[in-house]
Amino acid sequence: MDTYVQSATVTMTEWEQRKRFVGFTDEDAQLLKELGPVADMYVDEVVEGLYRQFLSFDKTRAFFPDEATLRRVKKLQKAYFLQLTQGDYGEAYLVHRLHIGQVHQQIGLEPRWYMGAYSLYMQLAFPHVIAAFSHDAAKGQRVFLALLKIITLDKELAITTYIAASEAIISAQSREILEIATPVVQLWSGVVAAPLIGTLDSKRAQQFTERLLERIVEMRASVALVDITGVPMMDTRTAQYLLEAISAVRLLGAQVILTGVRPVIAQTLVHLGIDLSSVATRPSLEAGLRLGLDMLDLQVIHRDGKR
Amino acid sequence: MADDNITMIKVRDVLMVTMPADPDDATVSALQEKVLVTMQQSEAAGVILDISAVETLDSFFARTIAETAQMVALMGGRTVIAGMRPSVAITTTQLGLTLGGAMTALDVDRALDMLNHTHQRGQV
Repeated sequence: MDTYVQSATVTMTEWEQRKRFVGFTDEDAQLLKELGPVADMYVDEVVEGLYRQFLSFDKTRAFFPDEATLRRVKKLQKAYFLQLTQGDYGEAYLVHRLHIGQVHQQIGLEPRWYMGAYSLYMQLAFPHVIAAFSHDAAKGQRVFLALLKIITLDKELAITTYIAASEAIISAQSREILEIATPVVQLWSGVVAAPLIGTLDSKRAQQFTERLLERIVEMRASVALVDITGVPMMDTRTAQYLLEAISAVRLLGAQVILTGVRPVIAQTLVHLGIDLSSVATRPSLEAGLRLGLDMLDLQVIHRDGKR
Repeated sequence: MADDNITMIKVRDVLMVTMPADPDDATVSALQEKVLVTMQQSEAAGVILDISAVETLDSFFARTIAETAQMVALMGGRTVIAGMRPSVAITTTQLGLTLGGAMTALDVDRALDMLNHTHQRGQV
């Protein structure tokens, strides 16, 4: 499924906005560039320190099952860290960083772990930065703050793309759920049953009602059993959708029997003050069918004559 | 003329009224007038309003139907609305419109059954 490849588009305008908000200026970019050569020297040590930590935690160790993977990832990590101090934080930088959250979402690494990793980087880099600017402590502080700002911006981007990737999956699933339509079946000549499964939102309710009405016309039904056994919970909105569906069915001259009213649903309906006095209800589909046949003046008689 | 596209036929003791596809307000108003006058003249026991051709039902139409059904009842008759389209049914309920005391039937056939029924089947 490649729906999560569409990354969250953070526009250049928004990127500039984020930089301004965090207070990342051209001066910061310059300071980071100055840190570049220093970073080149400490980066290997920092990467080692970071991965020592990753490997000592079960949750994160699981992502590096073998030596080859570990080596590859360390290389990528090193490249990532060096990018922090290359001095240019425009569009190319933005695009490159946007992929990170996406990748993490794809492999299933949750934000809390790579957020932690950013912090570890800062902790490991800190002594090196201070040492490199020991001749000018004030500057050292400004350099470190610049690093802090760019890391914050990176974190923001990672989270944005992580969320976007997750949301893309959720929308795809929602669309799929909408397509899963439970069929309206004919139980007897003139009697149809429409099971409602899951929660109802406005779209599903509309779809359900349309389908039910069309089938009633098609099968010339005069009784419709709407079964709500599969509806997990009842709230005012769901009850509203149900009542609307029932009204619509009535307009087509058919009667509705609401079946599968579980005790907890019955409780909720009364507590919510929903008036179902005009609707025939039964606890089960069987009981509903019995009533439906009765409405059609039909009776089931055992071969030996008993009802 | 506005009420030329409403067809009215008396079948036994039932008044069969067929509405055109997109009745304008004048046509809808004419409907009420026509039905009541004919009810009086023919002493029909029931009215079947066939709206199977109707694609949209606005509040004015709905109100007119409800009123007409009440008036027919006062004149000793029963009204059945027949053949409402699914899309119309959905819009009607979403708009919260009611058809008053009028009964509803899937089609004219069923409507005739309803009116000919010997015992009264109340709406559940």
